[in-house]
Amino acid sequence: MGPSRTRAVARRVLKQIRRDRRFMILVVAAPLLLVFFVKTLFDATSIPAAGQERFVVPFGAYIVHFATFILTAIVLVRERVAQTLERMFVNGYRQFEIVGGYLLGYTALATAVSTMVLVALQLLFNLGYDFQRLAESFIVLWLLAVISLSLGILVSNVAQTEGQVIPFIPLVIIPSFLFSGMMVPVDALPGWAQVISRVSPMYYANQVLQDLVAGTSLSSNLGAVMALPIYGILILGAATFTLREHS
Amino acid sequence: MADQAISVSSISKAYGQVVALSGVDLEVPKGSIVGLVGANGAGKTTLIRMLVGALRPDSGEIRVLGVDPFAHKRQVRSTIGYMPQAPVLYEDLTVLENVTFFGRGHMSESVEQKARSVLEFVDLRDQADRQIRALSGGQRQRASLAATLVHEPQMLFLDEPTAGVDPELRHTFWQRFRRLAESGVTLVVSTHQMDEVVHCDRVAIIRSGTVLANATPSELFSTGGATVRVHRGGDVVEQALRSLSDDLPGLLHNFGLDPRVTRIEVKEPTLEDVVLSMIGREGDHGAK
Repeated sequence: MGPSRTRAVARRVLKQIRRDRRFMILVVAAPLLLVFFVKTLFDATSIPAAGQERFVVPFGAYIVHFATFILTAIVLVRERVAQTLERMFVNGYRQFEIVGGYLLGYTALATAVSTMVLVALQLLFNLGYDFQRLAESFIVLWLLAVISLSLGILVSNVAQTEGQVIPFIPLVIIPSFLFSGMMVPVDALPGWAQVISRVSPMYYANQVLQDLVAGTSLSSNLGAVMALPIYGILILGAATFTLREHS
Repeated sequence: MADQAISVSSISKAYGQVVALSGVDLEVPKGSIVGLVGANGAGKTTLIRMLVGALRPDSGEIRVLGVDPFAHKRQVRSTIGYMPQAPVLYEDLTVLENVTFFGRGHMSESVEQKARSVLEFVDLRDQADRQIRALSGGQRQRASLAATLVHEPQMLFLDEPTAGVDPELRHTFWQRFRRLAESGVTLVVSTHQMDEVVHCDRVAIIRSGTVLANATPSELFSTGGATVRVHRGGDVVEQALRSLSDDLPGLLHNFGLDPRVTRIEVKEPTLEDVVLSMIGREGDHGAK
């Protein structure tokens, strides 16, 4: 029954996404527009292409991170407010089936966003990545997207209303940018900020992407790469555990 | 106790300073229709959400089919159907997709076939492929009822199923509920429409989070008394009787032989009047 109910939630989520064309267009177009803004910004500077790459690839990952995080943070709260979440529980759905179904359903969207952002980076910034490097960058972006979906579910569990979830969004998104290591090395930050940086998936994604940009393949950097799925499993477990079945 | 589908003992619930339920006791016999009657905010929804295991009481004990709905939620949920007050459905899915989705929570096989069958039961077969957002209020209520019935539950909790429904459809709904009760299903139906009391086997009248009465409609009716208007000379004397059968003979004895009496009118209250007088006109305070 478990897998069939998880599939039922995923199918339902996918149907809803497909039928909301405006939402689909926004989810794909907004990250592309942001990549274009970053390109415009760098065109106005004298930073050489090699220096740009160390920033723009992780920044592309950051765009994927917040786009996918916001998606599930808001949508699941909407389910709670509309009482469809309560109705799902009373009708026999369980926490892990709902979280799993949402993750499966939105993974399709996360895959699309990751692909579009990576293609936009490659074309706009003339990265010149070969297929292997593109595929490895995609794996990192995709893992980050799936983890960010789980993080969105976790945050939505803390909020009771859409209004309550809004203050959480900058609280998660902005420190994950500031303390990810993209701008300032994490070791240079004070201890408390280093703790925050390690709570954000952007820290792990940035570490792997910086190595990729420097020419290290994923296979020779497995320790850092594995941090992402391990972090993802922990967040997913926390998201499932904190999804309340009753008030 | 074995014949009770639900047994509620001294449950209370408060939201901060606001008391939603206070010391509520309730027993619901198997295979009956029990109406929870009260004004908006009396505590009916709070009570129903507790019975389906969606809201934990602050104190007290609940048994649904003999077990605690929080300790044995899987067992209880597989036997119950819950229709929330608003038609809680996905607006962008079709009627059939909604009913099938909620049905899959309890079933893995023949879900679509059962969904189509239950849509026939609620007269929505022709609307099966329409999105919820394209339906009228009454059709949405029927779709919500279908999503409640699809897994053939033994107990139904229907929170104001007839709210916003036209009189003809209300009549149809109650016919459907009676058919379900006759097939052995236990129904707990909340309503703020007093005339619906007549459709129930038992009625619990709730005001400000407390149960004022728990009785059959005829028992309630017998508490209603009557008003007698005696036309004597040019005057009209009005007298309230607590019990028509006990008090009317005495009254006739007093007035019947008076030559000035030209007419005696006896006005019995309707069941609606009785319930309204219990609930009181001042409304409810502090309950959700």
